Amino acid sequence: MKKTLIMSLLVGASVFAADYSGVIQKPNASKLIEKDLLAPAKTFTMPAGCVTTNPESIARGAFIFHNLNGKKAKKNPPKGLSKKTADGKNKQYGNCIACHNIEGARGAGNIGPDLTGYKATFIDSGVRDNKFVFQKIADPRIDNKDTHMTVNLTTKLFTPAEICDITSYIVSPK
Amino acid sequence: MKTGIKIALSVALLSTLSFGGEQFAMSDSDRAMYAEMLENNPADIMVANGEELLAEYCGGDEGIAAFLNQSEDSLPAYLAGFPRYLPEFKQVVGIDQVLQGLMSKNGHKPFKLKSSDMFDMSAYVKSLANGEKSNIDVNANPQMKEAYALGKKTYMTERGGRGLSCNSCHSDAVIGSVLRTQPLPDLSAKGVAVAATWPAYRMTKSSLRTLQRRFQGCMKNALLKVIPIGSPEMVALEVYLTSEAKGAEIAVPGLKR
Ligand code: HEC
Ligand code: HEC
Repeated sequence: MKKTLIMSLLVGASVFAADYSGVIQKPNASKLIEKDLLAPAKTFTMPAGCVTTNPESIARGAFIFHNLNGKKAKKNPPKGLSKKTADGKNKQYGNCIACHNIEGARGAGNIGPDLTGYKATFIDSGVRDNKFVFQKIADPRIDNKDTHMTVNLTTKLFTPAEICDITSYIVSPK
Repeated sequence: MKTGIKIALSVALLSTLSFGGEQFAMSDSDRAMYAEMLENNPADIMVANGEELLAEYCGGDEGIAAFLNQSEDSLPAYLAGFPRYLPEFKQVVGIDQVLQGLMSKNGHKPFKLKSSDMFDMSAYVKSLANGEKSNIDVNANPQMKEAYALGKKTYMTERGGRGLSCNSCHSDAVIGSVLRTQPLPDLSAKGVAVAATWPAYRMTKSSLRTLQRRFQGCMKNALLKVIPIGSPEMVALEVYLTSEAKGAEIAVPGLKR
């Protein structure tokens, strides 16, 4: 091969350097993440009549505590709770037993404290009150900014009434 | 080329195996099945499919070596350093994206990143690095530095319906505790082999899956919006966790619960 030809081939190679940036998939995720971000920690006021001994409220709280979502739940939810959201989607529950043991739990985790005997140990003793439990479930970061617990009301996963149901269940005698 | 395919145990799986009792996710029959699979990883057949696809679309081992400017001898160690910044791609890329580039160069329509053919082919290519130590260099260039930082940020970002981040369940503070029957694996301790053992066969999904596909599983379970494979944040998460596993011996396909 002539020197000049080699030269021009080399030059050609660098001018037309391969560019694969247009042929690979590189979808955008930053918008998805942006819309999905957790809002700053928020303090909530417990609604009037929130914590109750009403068995229906306690039953809903228990169901939310022990189940992951409507699709996975084996039993039907108690009165006032659905397996679907208003717009027909799979309703998410608390899946609290993923991290907490409690009376009657099956396959409980131990990332969070054991909530067995909560009324006697924490409420009757005066160490905690209903307001604390409500806020802990609604947004645990107020009490512990480095918590590993889920945020349940700031994220709008639940309504205040549902947080009341869960609180009622935890502080109820079992 | 090394042909022997090593079997990798995930930390989670090991700890699951070593505990008995109802609290944990594996029953005795699961354990027996797992022992059987250790002898004979069901993913071997998928990796073999990947080898055929590589021959058909990418010119086989020689093809990928030439594409990456490597000799067949230097290829394994080079593959053990992915994800990498490659100027021809103008970004940090995973092995799957490299394969898209090579397929396109060879006149083929690239497999989708989330297709099982792509999972198989990238698993085969990564298995060429079996026995090598993971040698990713996150200080190699500004792009890699940026990817590492983005990966760490993505890992720490709390989001979704329950306000969780990857770190909520995979930080030092909770490793080893049990989340609904599953011991939480340590993903980020130095020398831990998690990133070096993917792609892997997932027994609970009966399929071969990549690391980025695994991330999507955790996102879905924990109610984080699932982000697409190949997005800068996904590649960055892979960079971050691969860097945490730097020095670990690559053993693909892994075998996971
Ligand atoms: C991913 C793990 C995780 C999940 C899921 C979780 N928690 Fe927790 N929880 C924790 C951890 C960790 C703590 C202790 C740290 C803290 O107080 O923030 C805690 C603390 C608590 C406490 C305070 C106990 C006390 O008196 O100190 C209550 C009450 C509680 N959780 C209820 C719930 C309820 C109800 C749910 C479900 C809606 C739930 N948790 C889901 C991890 C979790
Ligand atoms: C709510 C808890 C939780 C969150 C949040 C979470 N993970 Fe996981 N992750 C787990 C559990 C539990 C396992 C083990 C599951 C098993 O054994 O099948 C796991 C396993 C993994 C594995 C496989 C480990 C192995 O042994 O190979 C990877 C990789 C991983 N997670 C990455 C992530 C990333 C990245 C994120 C964030 C996008 C994330 N996880 C968020 C709970 C979580």
